[in-house]
Amino acid sequence: MLSEERRADQSALTEPASGRLVNPDVRDEFGLETIDMNMGPQHPAMHGLLRLILELDGETVVRCDPIMGYLHRCQEKIAENRMYPAVIPMTDRLDYFANMHNEHGYVLAVEDLLDVEIPPRAEYIRVLMCELMRLASHIPSIGFLLLELGAFTPILYAFRERERIQSIFEAVTGARMMFHYIRIGGVKADLPPDIPEKIWSFIEGLEKNFQSDFVDLIEGNEIFISRTRGVAKMTQEKAVEMGLTGPPLRCTGVDFDIRLDYPYSVYPELKFDVITDTGGDVEASYRVRIAECLESIKIIKQCLEKMPEGAVMAEMGRRIRPPEGEGFGRVESPRGEFAVHIVSDGSDTPYRVHYRDPSFVNMQLLQEMVPGHYLPDIMPIMGLVDPVSGGWDK
Amino acid sequence: MPQVGQGILKGMGVTLKHLFGQKITRQYPEYKRPLPERSRGMLTVDMDRCIACLQCMRVCPDHCISIEQEKRDADGSGKAKPYAVGFVIDDSRCMYCSLCVEVCPVNCIYHTEEFEAQAYNRLELARQFGERPVDPTIDPKPAVKKKKPAKTAPGKGTKGEGGEAPKKAPKKKEEAA
Amino acid sequence: MGTVLQYLDQEPLRFLISFALVLFLVLNLAAVLTMAERKVSAYIQLRYGPNRVGPRGLLQPAADVFKLFTKENVSPGRSDLWVFLAAPIAMFLPAALVWLVIPFAPDAVMANLNVGIVFFIAVTSIGALGVVMAGYGSRSTFSLLGALRGAAQMISYEVPLILSLLGVVMLAGSLSFVDVVIAQGDTFWTWYFLPLFPMFIVFYVSSIAEVKRVPFDLPEGESEIVGGFMIEYSGMTWALIQAAEFASMGLMSAITATLFLGGWQPPLPFLDLGAFNWVWFGLKTALIMFTFQWIRWSVPRLRMDQLMDFGWKVLVPITLIYLFIVAAAMLIFQEVL
Repeated sequence: MLSEERRADQSALTEPASGRLVNPDVRDEFGLETIDMNMGPQHPAMHGLLRLILELDGETVVRCDPIMGYLHRCQEKIAENRMYPAVIPMTDRLDYFANMHNEHGYVLAVEDLLDVEIPPRAEYIRVLMCELMRLASHIPSIGFLLLELGAFTPILYAFRERERIQSIFEAVTGARMMFHYIRIGGVKADLPPDIPEKIWSFIEGLEKNFQSDFVDLIEGNEIFISRTRGVAKMTQEKAVEMGLTGPPLRCTGVDFDIRLDYPYSVYPELKFDVITDTGGDVEASYRVRIAECLESIKIIKQCLEKMPEGAVMAEMGRRIRPPEGEGFGRVESPRGEFAVHIVSDGSDTPYRVHYRDPSFVNMQLLQEMVPGHYLPDIMPIMGLVDPVSGGWDK
Repeated sequence: MPQVGQGILKGMGVTLKHLFGQKITRQYPEYKRPLPERSRGMLTVDMDRCIACLQCMRVCPDHCISIEQEKRDADGSGKAKPYAVGFVIDDSRCMYCSLCVEVCPVNCIYHTEEFEAQAYNRLELARQFGERPVDPTIDPKPAVKKKKPAKTAPGKGTKGEGGEAPKKAPKKKEEAA
Repeated sequence: MGTVLQYLDQEPLRFLISFALVLFLVLNLAAVLTMAERKVSAYIQLRYGPNRVGPRGLLQPAADVFKLFTKENVSPGRSDLWVFLAAPIAMFLPAALVWLVIPFAPDAVMANLNVGIVFFIAVTSIGALGVVMAGYGSRSTFSLLGALRGAAQMISYEVPLILSLLGVVMLAGSLSFVDVVIAQGDTFWTWYFLPLFPMFIVFYVSSIAEVKRVPFDLPEGESEIVGGFMIEYSGMTWALIQAAEFASMGLMSAITATLFLGGWQPPLPFLDLGAFNWVWFGLKTALIMFTFQWIRWSVPRLRMDQLMDFGWKVLVPITLIYLFIVAAAMLIFQEVL
């Protein structure tokens, strides 16, 4: 690997490319240069609007600098002028593949400020919705990984499952994607009476199709293995040093899951395992996501069986006016750790809201791990990180 | 390396099975699926019940509702009460979050099941419900009134003695299950 | 009527009419193949594909062609215009020319060359030149990468292509397509795909690489370099490149069917249809085209270095070794064959 020869200290914004190739002794005497290329914001496979400034030596990437900001919507600033409950629809739009987790993180931060007791039924409903959302996010992630590798069918099988989950969400919350369901103090409304039935039948259908559509089609495929094994192989120290969380971290073997290490909601009462893999490369992240889907199915079944009766909303006033202070809430979203830090000054609106989005932090992997690989390897590496552009840009 | 028949050929078997299987497309304009009862479509206002309290205008995060209010005796009771002469909902801004629906005290604004909003001009997407048309391009005045005049950063204390504890007012309205 | 046909059968007119027929056939084949591709891909992906234009969507290619005629042919400002515009033609001609030597039915071949196989190999090499012209003439980084990949891929996969043809030539004893079809006999166990099974597989895989389809479509890598060598083409120039790609896909299927699956020969003698044997030819070609599409929608694509490794380190040794085995078998069993 040529990664030890890359220039990690230069950045695209301060210094121009010097034209030095990876092996200067050989190349300079022929007067060869690298190609500066831009995998621009308009690209069908960039998971959104990401600009990558690449410096290529033939097909090998020498430098990769991601430039973000093409979807920036100033959400943190706008939240300073909205009342606390009115910020929740805006958190939906951050990481738009894992909306429930964003809402949950924000609401945990506000409840940390308010110190309010959530009824147990509301907690179980929140966990149920979050785990369904995790399924609805991991399955298309696998589809996107394969779409960028060139196989066009698994993503359509993945979206069939996601559509079924979205119809369940529509029956519960009223919207297919921007739910605005988890509220400060509980959830908005109780589940309709026929929903547990629908969720059971969906889970049974998924378990029947899962092995054939997402494992058989992909896992043994020789081309998939040769494209993803050994690509972006990380050690545990490197992953922790980059600040990764979620499947990119767990695929190296580090056993860190917010649901078990900093437990929140009713996760301490549910039995599930943390999935780790020792590969550290793209194939390991694929296996981690597949196994996490199966764990989510286990959690959903436990939630449906154990759900208590009761109210779904705590007794709170109409005005949410937290006392002065700081609140912090963190959840395990499908991409990693999503955390919200709120500073309150005692009025109706927050003084400052900061979102720690996993896609933003996990993107460092691109700058660190891509140099040394070939140009077509950028796509599986983005499949390992699985960023969502609403997440890194806010 | 997996054996022959396990890798690519197995995947090709899966796709062949789906080739002859059932298709999941619904042909949209001919078939419209029944929407669940909680679906949030486009908003509409029942102007007979509106009391022009301006709560929906204040809570909307996108500032898509604009109301022009004046005092008028509309129901012949002799007293001049607030009355909405102009009410505009801008569909190009609405994000279907249903905050206005929840906060309305008389349940006069609600979601319909329509979701197909088309227009040739963006300004045509603003629907007027009152007598006098309201200009949707003017941002209605921001609703949140600040209690403290200057925004200073709060000290690094724990929450507790500073602000007001939430009052034990009537429970926040929930929709019926 | 007899004298009209006799007049038309004289040399310059006969050839011109044949060539016009070939062009008509190839362009229609390209159009029909776009539709077949979309329907097959849709059925694999659990959806219906185009079903609005015409009954069950069968007039969709007509709508596509009409749309492409009305689109503007954009060319980049600093591109080399002659090379840029000549490239689609250079890609389309090989796909159209080789149909002249393929036998459709007994005595129905447009140019009965006795070196038909050499003609096929020589003309398909021009396709690689067309790819480099397209990418280089566009003068953009993405297309340059695609062109270089395309050139490397197409040239290196011609070697296993040709080596696997040598087995057929040895068994048939002639370089002419017509003789190869006649030598295969009219029972399906004497067709050449059975004794030459590894060569059949190698030829099939190399033909996928020559046509630049998934899993070998890195020159046109849709995910990284969005179109590769054809990224700057739009409108009718792009349509010509697509027609070239689909026509060569049809061509490679036809040649696989001719050389390895018996051409117009029926699988069993009593199913012989005489002059209508082009039905059997059509069925075999359609079967192989279906497998091209089936593989496209099931499998991811190979990276460039893996592609080259596969071609040079796997396919070429297989063909060379099997060539020796076939030669040895022919020597030993000479009295049987």
